[in-house]
This record gives sequence, structure tokens and C-alpha cells, in this order.
Amino acid sequence: MLGPADWVIWFLATLFEALVVVCSLHRNAFRRYFFLNLYMLFSVLVSVGQFRVLIHYGRSSLEYRYFYFYSQALLVISLYFALISLYSLVFRELKVEQYVRFGAVLLLAGTAWFSYAAVNQSSSRMVTHFAFELSQNLYFVGLVLTYVLWGAILKLRETRALLVQVVLSLGVYFSAHAASYAISNLRPDLFFRMGYLLPVIGCLLPLAWAYAIWRVPEEARIEPARLAVAHR
Amino acid sequence: MSRKLTVVLFAMLVLTGAMGLKAVVTAHGNGSAALSANGVPIPTPF
Repeated sequence: MLGPADWVIWFLATLFEALVVVCSLHRNAFRRYFFLNLYMLFSVLVSVGQFRVLIHYGRSSLEYRYFYFYSQALLVISLYFALISLYSLVFRELKVEQYVRFGAVLLLAGTAWFSYAAVNQSSSRMVTHFAFELSQNLYFVGLVLTYVLWGAILKLRETRALLVQVVLSLGVYFSAHAASYAISNLRPDLFFRMGYLLPVIGCLLPLAWAYAIWRVPEEARIEPARLAVAHR
Repeated sequence: MSRKLTVVLFAMLVLTGAMGLKAVVTAHGNGSAALSANGVPIPTPF
């Protein structure tokens, strides 16, 4: 049974996700950050769908479990493409879009193959286990890709403030997810005590994106390379 | 050609790094923990 805090966090997360799309439309940034907005739109639709399935069938029903795992896989794949679109924005001046696309498809295919190999032994519900495994693996791929992208931003001296804020918030999100995953495996007892941490961070990602799109002008510049300079 | 090979190498490195990180994280568990990304309640496992 869900408590009031669960409902509030879920509602706020959905509200913030919709807010990203609204802010993008208002600032005429929908097409520029199309895949970020697509991810947020999917998130809103999935939340609404999960709410309906949860109300009709209950949390322990097979319908809710199937809907949850397949929709999470869809969401993570769309988040992966949102991250790749950030790569395209950062490397746009180098004219390497085709290589970014090629690498993205190759990496997604490699992750899918790895996930399939991991669940191949499981005979029952293999497709569901594959969807679950793929979504978890893509989170870790996304984490590594975000840190590589941050390194590229520092190296290329990228100065677009909006882009930097979007990438940094994504880095915090992926890091928190990986940390939660680690704690849930290493210390399950501790994980259940901090049960609201990951959902709250899940709320903060769309909030950070909405704030960045709403408040940071496209022409605003920042010097993230200075952050990496070690003063002696 | 060399650029494509570089992309292939990069993809393999990222995949290896990510799966290695996941293996380290799940070294003391079975890796079956389900996490909700967007505040959605996690269903009971199969």
C-alpha cells in the first residue's frame, strides 16, 4: 500500500516532467532539445499509464509488474537517446554527428546483447527479465557516458551554460542511481531506511532541467574548464 | 575508416567499463534489486 509521501513524490515527479515540456515550448527550445523533451513526455505518459494500471489491478498484480518493467525499459532507452542528443550538441562543431549516431547504435546493440547473454539461461519470463536487465545495464552505460561527456565538455572548453547544467544534473542523477543500486545490493537493510532518496532524486532531474530551460538563456556562457584547474 | 574503428573501440570501452562497474556494485548481491527512476512505486518481484 502506498503512503501519502509516495503519492506526493510520484505526483511531483510527473508535474516536473510535464513542466520541462511546457518550459521548452515556452522558450522555443522544444526542437533543440527534442530527445530530452521526448523522454519527459514518455515519462508523463508512463506515469499516467502506471497510475491507471495500479488503481485497476493493484501493486502485486502481474499486469502492474509487466507494465512497470516494460515501461521502465522504454524510459531508459529514451533517456539513453536524450544523452546521445547531448553528445550531438557538444560535438556539433566537430561535424561528427554520423559517428556519434553509429557509436550510439553500436553501444545500444552491445548492451542489448550483453543483457540477452545474462538472461539467456532463464527459461521463464525471459523477455521480462531481458527488459529489466537491459534497463539496469543502460543506467550504468548512461553513467559512464555522462562522465565521458563531462570530460569532453572540460576538454573542448564548452561554454554553453544551459548545456552544462543539463549534463551536470544528468550526472548527479545517474550517480545517485548507481549509488542506490550499490546500497540496495550491499546493504539492503540500509536501503529500505532511505527508501525515498531515489524517488526524490528522480524528481530533482526534471526540476533541474525545467529550471535550466526556464531561467538560463541559450546565449548564457559559463567556463566549466575553470572547475578542473588545480590551484597550487 | 580509422574514425569508425575509434568509435567501435570507444563503444567497447564504455560497455566494458559500465558492466565492470555494475559487476563491482553487485559483487555482494544478486543484482535483482529493482529501482524506480521517476517516483513510480516498485512492484513486488516475480
